[in-house]
Amino acid sequence: MLYTENSVKDYKPRAMVIGNIVALSFAVILGRLWYLQIYNGEKFFRYSLANSLRKENIKAPRGLVFSRNNKLLIHNVPRFDAIIIPQYLSNRKTSLKKLAKIIDMPVEAIEKTLRKRSSQPRYMSVIIKKNITKKEVAIMETENFKIPGVSVRQFIGREYPDKEIGAHLLGYISEINDKQIPRLRKKFGHKYRPGDHIGQAGIEEILDLHLRGEDGQQIVEVDALGRARRYVSTDNLFKGIINRSFKRGDNLRLTIDKDLQKTAYDSLEGKVGSAVAVNVETGEILVMVSRPSFDPSQFGRGITRKYWNSLITNENNPLLDRNIQEHYSPGSTFKTITALAGLEEGLIDEKTEINCKGHIKFGTRKFHCWKKNGHGKVNIYKAIKESCDIYFYKLAQILDVDVLAKYANMLGLGMKTGISLPREIPGLIPTKKWKKEYTGESWQRGETLSVAIGQSFVLATPLQLVMSYAALANGGKVLRPYYLKDIFNNAGEIVEKTSPKIIRELSFKPKTLKILKKALFSAVNEKKGTAYWFRGRGIKMAGKTGTSQVVRLSSDKIYTKCEEMEYKFRHHGMFVSYAPADDPKIAVSVVVEHGCHGSTAAAPVARDIITHYMKKYHSDIRAKIIAEEKILAQRNKKQ
Amino acid sequence: MIAANFWSLIKKYDFSFFVIIAAIFMVGILNLHSATHSSHSQAAVNLYQTQILLFGFSIFAGMLISFIRPSTMARFSWPIYWINIGLLLLVLLLGMKGMGAKRWIVMGPFRLQPSEIMKISLILALARFFTSKRYFSELNLKNLIMPAFFALFPALLIIMQPDLGTGLVILLIFFMVVFYVGLKWKTIMILGIIGLISGLGMYQFGLKGYQKKRITAFLNPGMEPKGLGYNAIQSKIAIGSGKLFGKGFKKSTQASLNYLPENHTDFVFSIFNEEHGFFGSLLLIGLYLVLFFRFLWLAQSVTDVYDSIVVIGVMSVFFWHTLVNMGMVTGLLPIVGLPLPLMSYGGSSLLTFGICAGMATSISNYRNIF
Repeated sequence: MLYTENSVKDYKPRAMVIGNIVALSFAVILGRLWYLQIYNGEKFFRYSLANSLRKENIKAPRGLVFSRNNKLLIHNVPRFDAIIIPQYLSNRKTSLKKLAKIIDMPVEAIEKTLRKRSSQPRYMSVIIKKNITKKEVAIMETENFKIPGVSVRQFIGREYPDKEIGAHLLGYISEINDKQIPRLRKKFGHKYRPGDHIGQAGIEEILDLHLRGEDGQQIVEVDALGRARRYVSTDNLFKGIINRSFKRGDNLRLTIDKDLQKTAYDSLEGKVGSAVAVNVETGEILVMVSRPSFDPSQFGRGITRKYWNSLITNENNPLLDRNIQEHYSPGSTFKTITALAGLEEGLIDEKTEINCKGHIKFGTRKFHCWKKNGHGKVNIYKAIKESCDIYFYKLAQILDVDVLAKYANMLGLGMKTGISLPREIPGLIPTKKWKKEYTGESWQRGETLSVAIGQSFVLATPLQLVMSYAALANGGKVLRPYYLKDIFNNAGEIVEKTSPKIIRELSFKPKTLKILKKALFSAVNEKKGTAYWFRGRGIKMAGKTGTSQVVRLSSDKIYTKCEEMEYKFRHHGMFVSYAPADDPKIAVSVVVEHGCHGSTAAAPVARDIITHYMKKYHSDIRAKIIAEEKILAQRNKKQ
Repeated sequence: MIAANFWSLIKKYDFSFFVIIAAIFMVGILNLHSATHSSHSQAAVNLYQTQILLFGFSIFAGMLISFIRPSTMARFSWPIYWINIGLLLLVLLLGMKGMGAKRWIVMGPFRLQPSEIMKISLILALARFFTSKRYFSELNLKNLIMPAFFALFPALLIIMQPDLGTGLVILLIFFMVVFYVGLKWKTIMILGIIGLISGLGMYQFGLKGYQKKRITAFLNPGMEPKGLGYNAIQSKIAIGSGKLFGKGFKKSTQASLNYLPENHTDFVFSIFNEEHGFFGSLLLIGLYLVLFFRFLWLAQSVTDVYDSIVVIGVMSVFFWHTLVNMGMVTGLLPIVGLPLPLMSYGGSSLLTFGICAGMATSISNYRNIF
């Protein structure tokens, strides 16, 4: 039956080899068992007693944020929660009564909180009251031995000492939500975890990765019920299970001046609006405030429903940064750009003169000047100084809207400034093509007239306006605005440094800039100038007021006093300026919603900022300002 | 004549295999009882009773098999093999779903697992193949093409079920058998390289997600201590905590607190180690070694090459299961899901081991009769 000529004896050597393989294999198994049971037996025995290992996350403190003068803008403070661990609550009634007294909370409310969390294991803590005061902490710590099951848990809180001042720029942090986790993991490549606190607005959001540092981990032994028993010292028994200390987040030094922020914010008191100031030569942001504002400290950990509701029901939207997230018709502040286009294109010059009778007719429509009786003979200086509309209507009749748009775009209007902040909007500079695309209708030449005085379709953010005026002031450099001086780690080493960035260098005719600067100077410093009454003492400012119409007014209402209109129909007041006029250092843009006039509402804010800035940073001018202020004070006394 | 033969057979009946198997099973059933006694479900607590019944049935089947002549086995080698292949295909086509895998054919109260029987069928087929051809020298690669096909085809079908563990065992059995029949060193090297490449290829393209994850978890168990590496870590803790003499019978905390899942199937050895320590394992492994060397001794004491190859094959079934299971629970190998012979709960594997013992007994009984 079988054909093989081999005999079983031939297989003997290989049977021997197999025998050896078998013996060797189990020698290895026994060796492994020896390693686990004898060599590491004690350790594993301990683990098995504790029954399990758990990773505990150690939160890394976020980086601190400083002003340009190294004053704290955001820092970390210890905060405390009152907690209850139901398992240890041996004498429930008296314990709750005692706790209720200390933290000033009704017993029923505590019972309710406990009931809400009754489905979780009894060894897990329940937070009864968040952010208890230091005094409450002290009482609880001393009474602790008398209240079993009640204790205090510490955590790192994020605090913003200036509260509402500059809140939009700084932003706030709050717990990451489920939708953000996958999106942010993809976006930043950082492993965000549920329960993480992340920046949700402003600098906290944009620079989250720098600020957040790296969490550490501590391995804990957990007993059969999942209770933490003790910390396990790091060993390499299990790959990947190691203790890791946290790495603090990096700190930021901003270009923001803390004192100026306060000046600007206080100056806007009672108003809805914003102010932004930049260094004319570098694009550094010195001031950036918006009102109404919010207190970012309230967010960090569980914002109260009451506070949140007060924010979202406020029709002025306190969460909106009006400097970059809102745009306005620039109104008369845009006339400077129209004039620039006219001068550069050779359509007007110093000698061009028109006669302002208070209105002109274009086609079938009547266009009015803001001054009912007209300005009489007007040249470019007077046109800007007194903000004569007719001059610009006439210029607009010979100026193509696309040419005007070209100049506006050159100065950075109609596009994002590139500031590294979330949700900046680009504003709008209309062109013929744009109108065709978005409305389907072709451009009406009459519309150019409205655009020339900054109304109708034109929209700009306050930041864009200040950057465009800064470009005029510095001789044509369009800068990218920035707020971050440098990032430094906890050893004080600088990790990253921002340097000024010129987006475009424009070469205008020297004559053009000279004319515009002279005109802007006279608007503030000469009688009849629109901002004359709000000029600073001892400083030579240059600037342009603007009024942004909220609604188009019917002709019979054009000359109605703004203050007599319903609040929501009142014009926005704007003022864009730079100083000193002969050697510009700082540019400021202020908008006050429904403030009626750029002069009365916005200009004083800019003046306050500039005065403070000059006093602080330019000692030669400070002396002048103080001297002028003394004279003024004496004069007031006499009266 | 037949009666006389029968009586002489009974007189020479070799009980050694069944005795050793029963000894290991005794340890196993006590261990199983200990692993499940504190379980929450009554069904789990009663598992050991079912296991005793299954073992009785398996021994009975093995005893019946032991009266089949080796020559009869040889004659039916091919039909058994092909029928088994057919059943595997059938399972793949319409097998019922259980544990996310299609492995069984249901016949009344029985659930037949063709992949289990395939281990035996393959041994028979290989033994038959290598005795029907003339091999004067050691096998080269060309000689291996046919037998490799006989092993790879069912292995592939089983891996597709998907049952990676059994599929790998089929291949390991094949390697042991061809090694025994004779391989040139060069061939062994080439096979090793092919194995490595196909293994990597299979990992890349052939494995299901959970199988891949198990391997990743093996390579880095600490990655997610509560996740994929969980079993591996808890198993190591269970074993290590046993130290030299163990915590004692029914004293396992890992099992009683359900930290170690599947503690009655794949991880019985961990529980055994936790309760009886290094010393206990030494004795248990000793028992297994007695079994293996009893097979080896038998393989060398028969005169017929077919018988010898079958015995080696049968030994390799026990050997690989034991080695891979112990390797995986101690963290030396990835967790592929193979039972520990006679210790793990499970009817199909018990039956296979019973039949294997029966075949070896038969070969031992009949070797002196002719």
